[in-house]
Amino acid sequence: MSIRSLELRARAVVEGFWSGMHRSPYHGFSVEFTEYRQYTPGDDPRYLDWRVYARTDRYVIKKYEDETNLRCHLLVDQSRSMNYGSRGHTKAAYAATLTATLAYFLHLQGDATGLLTFDDQVRDYLPARHRAGHLRQLMHALERPSAGRTTDLAAPLERITSLIRRRALVALVSDFLAPIDQLERKLVALGACGHEVSVFQVLDPAELTLGLEQPAMFEDLESERTLYLDPAAARAAYMKKFTEHCAALRAMCRKLGISYHLLATDQPLETALFGFLQDRMKRGRQFRPAFRGSNGGSAP
Amino acid sequence: MNFLTPLFFIGGLAIAGPIIFHLIKRTTRERTLFSSLMFLLPTPPRLAKRSRLEHLLLLLLRCLALGLLALGFSRPFFKQTQLDDPTAVQPKRIVVLVDVSASMRRTGLWAAARERVEATLGKVSAVDHVALYTFDRAATPLLPFEEWNRTPATDRAALAKARLAAVSPGWSGTQLGTALMTAAEALAESDGKQFPGPRQIVLVSDLQAGSRIDALQAYEWPKTVTLTVETVKASKPTNAGLQLVADSADTSGAAETVVRVRVSNSADAQREQFKLGWTRASATGEFAFVGKPIDVYVPPGQSRVIAVPIAKDAPGLERIELKGDDEDFDNVVSVIPPGQQRLNVLWLGNDAPEDIRQPLFFLRRALSDTPRLGVSVAARNSTAQLLPDDIATASVVFVTDALPAAQTAALREQALAGKTLVFAPKSAASAATLGALVGREGVALTEARPTNYAMFAEIDFKHPLFASFADPRFSDFTKIHIWKYRKLDAAAIPDARVLARFDSGDPAVIEAAIGKGRLFVLTTGWQPDDSQLAVSTKFVPLLWSLLELGGGGAAAPAQWFVGDTAPLPPGAAGTAKLEKAEKDVRFTEPGLREIKVGERVMRFAVNLDPNESRTAPLAADELERLGVPLTKAEAKPVVTGDSKIVLQGIEAENRQKLWRWFIAATLAVLLVESALAGWTARKENSKQTEAAT
Repeated sequence: MSIRSLELRARAVVEGFWSGMHRSPYHGFSVEFTEYRQYTPGDDPRYLDWRVYARTDRYVIKKYEDETNLRCHLLVDQSRSMNYGSRGHTKAAYAATLTATLAYFLHLQGDATGLLTFDDQVRDYLPARHRAGHLRQLMHALERPSAGRTTDLAAPLERITSLIRRRALVALVSDFLAPIDQLERKLVALGACGHEVSVFQVLDPAELTLGLEQPAMFEDLESERTLYLDPAAARAAYMKKFTEHCAALRAMCRKLGISYHLLATDQPLETALFGFLQDRMKRGRQFRPAFRGSNGGSAP
Repeated sequence: MNFLTPLFFIGGLAIAGPIIFHLIKRTTRERTLFSSLMFLLPTPPRLAKRSRLEHLLLLLLRCLALGLLALGFSRPFFKQTQLDDPTAVQPKRIVVLVDVSASMRRTGLWAAARERVEATLGKVSAVDHVALYTFDRAATPLLPFEEWNRTPATDRAALAKARLAAVSPGWSGTQLGTALMTAAEALAESDGKQFPGPRQIVLVSDLQAGSRIDALQAYEWPKTVTLTVETVKASKPTNAGLQLVADSADTSGAAETVVRVRVSNSADAQREQFKLGWTRASATGEFAFVGKPIDVYVPPGQSRVIAVPIAKDAPGLERIELKGDDEDFDNVVSVIPPGQQRLNVLWLGNDAPEDIRQPLFFLRRALSDTPRLGVSVAARNSTAQLLPDDIATASVVFVTDALPAAQTAALREQALAGKTLVFAPKSAASAATLGALVGREGVALTEARPTNYAMFAEIDFKHPLFASFADPRFSDFTKIHIWKYRKLDAAAIPDARVLARFDSGDPAVIEAAIGKGRLFVLTTGWQPDDSQLAVSTKFVPLLWSLLELGGGGAAAPAQWFVGDTAPLPPGAAGTAKLEKAEKDVRFTEPGLREIKVGERVMRFAVNLDPNESRTAPLAADELERLGVPLTKAEAKPVVTGDSKIVLQGIEAENRQKLWRWFIAATLAVLLVESALAGWTARKENSKQTEAAT
């Protein structure tokens, strides 16, 4: 977090990961040929290999591996609670770096990335694209300060569901320090549209353990409510409630088949990225038969 | 140590406050931001162990500040046994200033004033320096400091009372400002040494509105001198005053038939109706109105000018009186009814009356009558027999020709008695007459004829004869050409003084004293044969100056005020108090004064200062506005037993003022406490910051 530029931070994290770990399960126009197959009526005649027809008088369809068809939408929470940080940097900065890292990584792979920031309402939306300047635009949007106060998790999910038509990967980055009652329904709706969802819960170590010593007037960053609190006395009750909240979130994700990542802000981002990719590959293998190629061909 | 208000020690219980606060763990006022309080519940503040005090030094300082504050408010003082010793009392220097102006003549005022003075003298201690002054137009020492100090302490008050009993209010106006300045200066003079104690002026006066205090405007009042005013109040507030509205000399003609007076009523008066008119003493000695009096209505605080007609059928009225007023000290004005003054001038010469080339012709025309003054010129032939009345009634005698020895002797006799002679010889042949007049043989006159003409030079404009020409606009005598004159050696005349010379250096006008009288010698005549003097603008004023010097013709003021000093011509002898010949006279009482000057009787209408009639009280802040610090006279309660001890305590506390030191110490302790508390807080904060990182 000591590097000021978000892009440079993301680039530093991605260093060492670029080794072609990721292959697209989709087929389309690309330079990388995979195989021929027999033409069947209904196939797109654009993919006929006319040279083979001239030579053999048979209709053969040419197949390529499409490496640019993954669309990833990054949903980042920018509410006030994300501005808390006890380790020199805030959760918002950590979340922004994480998001930038993912975006940069996907960009390097040639995937299209989009961004949606939110607090109590949707603030910025960038459609998923892979073109020159788009990554920089995305970084700027991430760096832009938010004017929002509270967190509403349902609104951005509802919005993204209505916005994206094509199947995509949706990564939701938030501290989830808000009621999660409405969240399940929205996630189900998103999954029903065929989108793959990943949840990143970013938390400060002080939130995880209520690691504060001095009694003081505590002020809620979102509601500005104040409370006199002796952390030593309140710790047990806090830990109980907090653990229950996190467990409920985790259980919901498991139930919906959503990958859940709990990230503490003192945890290196590389670890987070590694866990994410590992999970992605595992899940990719698991879910690949269910996806269809954009050219109408079936996945291998 | 004793305490004046020991109840304030209860405030010392507040020391318990800091102790309790130090026992309670301070609830932090610092705010810590946290992402969300949704999992948190409020917890009550903890109390530290009650047996343990934190920040002991701070606690001590706070307790000390409260203790010192309680001590300061309880007004501590050290009891001093020498309080009862009168010699330990700081001596005061006091001037008792008693008003003896005319307004103090009102009913009961003077008695009240004496009581106040006696009460003041009763309060002074044996070590005090006291002086007693009276004042009206000026302050007069009645008992100076030196005399007070010389007198044994036991006799001082009695001496002062005896001196005061010997005086009574006069008739003069009130110059309060001048009197206060005199008293303040008397206080400042203390035999060259700095007087250490307080200085005070005790003013015993009716403090009427007419007291003039404007002199204080240009006076820087000494800072150490305080003024205590003991005001005496008249039992009857109504006082109407009468004032003569003096006309100027130009308007007071012989034809004047009214005398104007102003009736002013005091602001706090209860009466508005008065009667006004000429009065004359009746056989019983009382003054009664002559004719029907005028009804006058004057509302309080206002004044009216009333024209009182001069009764032609009742001559000799000289007194206008106002009746219906409570206080009558200012209800009379003396009036000299306007009239034409007659002067006689005797001419001794051989001129034909209608000869336009002779001096007499010009003299008659120059001395024509004015409304104020009528001049009769009696021309007698120099050789004719001189009647005694002619000389006796004449103010000035003009001589132009040689006189027989008998007449010369008679003239000299009159001159020795005070007569003014003017000798203007037409020829050098009159030298013997001049010699006989001045009583010196061998006085010679020689005819002088300048080549073209002579001019006046070296004129003594300071002499009354030429004083009216002293202004540079009128002092040019060079246009008067002198064709011929008689040369005279001034040294030949005893007691001679040359008032003017010709440009040749010869005397032109000589004044010589002859006994009580005097002789003016004009060495050239005003007739056209001698000079152009008669046809010049200087001639008439010069003749009138001669008449004035002869004891007539000068415009006298219509009235004088009590305390004024009027100049007298030489040879004046009083009819009542003025026994010896004096240069001036000071009026001490109102009324008509007659003073004989030679054969003439000078009359003076002396009245009261009109400001004395303004008897409404002076506004209290008037003196303070002029920078005089006033202290109010308060009657001290009778002190006995315990209350005396209490009073002594109050006095000692007032003098020592120990509470100031305690308050100062409290402030100092609070400063140290603030610095220490700040330092402690910073230290704790830095500790917390370190712990957090």
